[in-house]
Amino acid sequence: MGTEVVRFNDLRGKRASVRVAVVSAGVISPLGFGLDETLASLRGNKDCVSPVTRFDVEKCRCKAAGQISDERLNDRQNGAKTNRLHRATRMMTAVLDELLVTDPKYKPELTVIGTTSGGMSFGEDYYRALYRHAGLRHSARWIANYPPQKPVIDAQYAFGISAPCQVIANACASGTNAIGHAFECVRSGKYQRVLTGGYDAISELVFVGFDSLQAATPEKCRPFDRDRSGMVLGEGAAVLALENLESARARNAPILGEIIGYGISTDNHHLTQPDPSGRGPRRAMEQALQSAGRSAGEVDYINAHGTATTFNDAAEGRAITELFAKVPVSSTKSMIGHSLGAAGAIEAVICLAALKAQLLPSNINFRNPDPDLDLNIVANESREAKIDIVLSNSFGFGGTNASILIQKLAA
Amino acid sequence: MNLRIAGMGWVTPLGRGIDVVWDRLIRGDEALAQPISDSVSDKTYSAFRVPPDALKNLLPHPRLRRASAISRFAAAAGLDALDGARSTIGEIDVQRMALVFAVSNGGVIYTKRFYHNVVESGAQSASPLLFPETVFNAPASHLAAILGIEGASYTLVGDGAVGVLAIKMASDLLDNEALDCCLVVGAEEADWLLCDAYRKWRLLKSEPPIEPFHEPPRGMILSEGAGAVLLARRGTVQIDAIDAGGNFSQRHKANEIVRRILHDLADEDACVIASANGTFIDLAEREAIENELPRGIVYSPKPALGESVGASAVWQVIVAAQALQTKRLPQMLHSGRQVGPNFPKNDRTVGKKAIILSCGVNQQAAGLRLSI
Repeated sequence: MGTEVVRFNDLRGKRASVRVAVVSAGVISPLGFGLDETLASLRGNKDCVSPVTRFDVEKCRCKAAGQISDERLNDRQNGAKTNRLHRATRMMTAVLDELLVTDPKYKPELTVIGTTSGGMSFGEDYYRALYRHAGLRHSARWIANYPPQKPVIDAQYAFGISAPCQVIANACASGTNAIGHAFECVRSGKYQRVLTGGYDAISELVFVGFDSLQAATPEKCRPFDRDRSGMVLGEGAAVLALENLESARARNAPILGEIIGYGISTDNHHLTQPDPSGRGPRRAMEQALQSAGRSAGEVDYINAHGTATTFNDAAEGRAITELFAKVPVSSTKSMIGHSLGAAGAIEAVICLAALKAQLLPSNINFRNPDPDLDLNIVANESREAKIDIVLSNSFGFGGTNASILIQKLAA
Repeated sequence: MNLRIAGMGWVTPLGRGIDVVWDRLIRGDEALAQPISDSVSDKTYSAFRVPPDALKNLLPHPRLRRASAISRFAAAAGLDALDGARSTIGEIDVQRMALVFAVSNGGVIYTKRFYHNVVESGAQSASPLLFPETVFNAPASHLAAILGIEGASYTLVGDGAVGVLAIKMASDLLDNEALDCCLVVGAEEADWLLCDAYRKWRLLKSEPPIEPFHEPPRGMILSEGAGAVLLARRGTVQIDAIDAGGNFSQRHKANEIVRRILHDLADEDACVIASANGTFIDLAEREAIENELPRGIVYSPKPALGESVGASAVWQVIVAAQALQTKRLPQMLHSGRQVGPNFPKNDRTVGKKAIILSCGVNQQAAGLRLSI
């Protein structure tokens, strides 16, 4: 655990390719705490976006977000020590707890987690105290809990895990990039078990930033709708326990699904806007299919990035239309907002829940199809369907695009 | 798999370029600290800054027009590493190249400016031009655009050990035979806010010098810049082994993990390029070296170059690679208590292996070993 030294000469010429199981998972999102609540909210098409009260949004266009209840977080973890921690650490601890309750024997050799902003709100507290020249007595705590690796290390430490942590900050694609890289690490045969996922807690700086770009909407979040007007932010965390399938079966571990493909591409079009052609997202999706050895026709459901911004949905929609013939598509961000570095991980867990329940999650707040996008949107109501393979997309600032394919494992 | 360093780039407070910086280190030069202040406070700190003329030859690019200093440092180091690699391994197909960018504090200058406007004047004054540059992967995005990379690009965030974790990620990426090489870049920019934060965290001293292995530790001085290594299957210096290490829950427990890393990487023929920076990590490294490699030559570049956090481990790798290729190590500056008997003297030759020990100040430690 965390002690492997890879000596390259030992590996020369060996290139294993093994199957990668998801043996356990944990999730906190505005949909709920844990897989069961998440699935129930998906079935109920729950709109989890609510007014922001954590900081002043009076001067922002958008005044709402998908948020995690502090009361529930505090109910789970209370005490002098945990009270000093950032909310992101509490979220990570809670999801790792859920994962390990399902599979207490899971011990990762490596941890790969996505985030965009770590303990950002503590950085804000520190800067505001500096600006006011008052209240700096907490600054050491704020500073110590600000770095993005801190919630991951502290959550691991709470459960006696000390695996080295690679924290990926690829903007909104971070979570899917983390899962994709973890998948490749296990598939290569170098690792038996890699813990992966993503987290992000809402913060004023990020909220105001998206508002300043006019990417956030004062209205409902309507991905792929003709009248979409922008995103709403969200927050949360999710972790997935990846393991060599043979190893998982050998120890009779529960298996939630199988990651079978991963694609990553980089748009060099613009720092914040996607290439309108959809070329980057298309390459990521094609690579994921190629890496899995699957065809587009075998995909039963796409959990789209679907932020509801004009440009993202147009580029992603175009890429999906070009590659897939009328596959059911939804953006679950319509229900929970965009949780940035956590989004890909939460949506991967949503995909696992969808595979388990044979349910197509809905794209709520959908009114009018966009005439420029020929998509089969799962509009407003979730519905049962036979689904074996799902694709999950995440795209982010910096032109980073990531797609993963998840498969239901036959009994 | 065979992982080698094919090219390197270096932007530091001692200048830009492998030969330039190395010659100055060998001569015993150290960077000059500059006062760093901010309107939010009357406190002044010291930091080692990259001299403005270090980037004068950086080709203009639309992506760098409004970019922060960290992106410019990264671009210069990355381009230099590719130039160096071309002379070693020939033309490079960027479509078969990945990018892994290591950072700790990121674009702090623009982040502070962006948030200062919000605090001072409210959300309506938030700048849509500054916000995208506050994102951790903005420098990697600029570099990918400049180089034309359309495949894998990852930004890793961590403490001083993040550079080793980035090299570990690169090694895992290069298991994929569709890739020929991976550019690993570590970068950081200095700002008053960082100095104040590290000072409040009791890690920073007000003025140089950094005194590695001094007891008690007296603190570090922040610096800025970038380091880049192009990793490929051909090249002059080989990466023998990487230990992604692990995490320590409290400062006084850092010694356990650093010792284990050194135990795993130890080789009698190896010198140690340490991360000692005048803080608690020096004690952890000293204990590890005394127990696991007591006769090894030890060198830390931080008294000369400062603590560049996200860039520091890549800088250590560059020092190690240069030491192996030139058979020399610079003299350790301002060393306090000795680690074993073996701080390098000017005439001391270096063997065929070098160990990079990288212990960060925020709970991460890792290491790797090079050979020639």
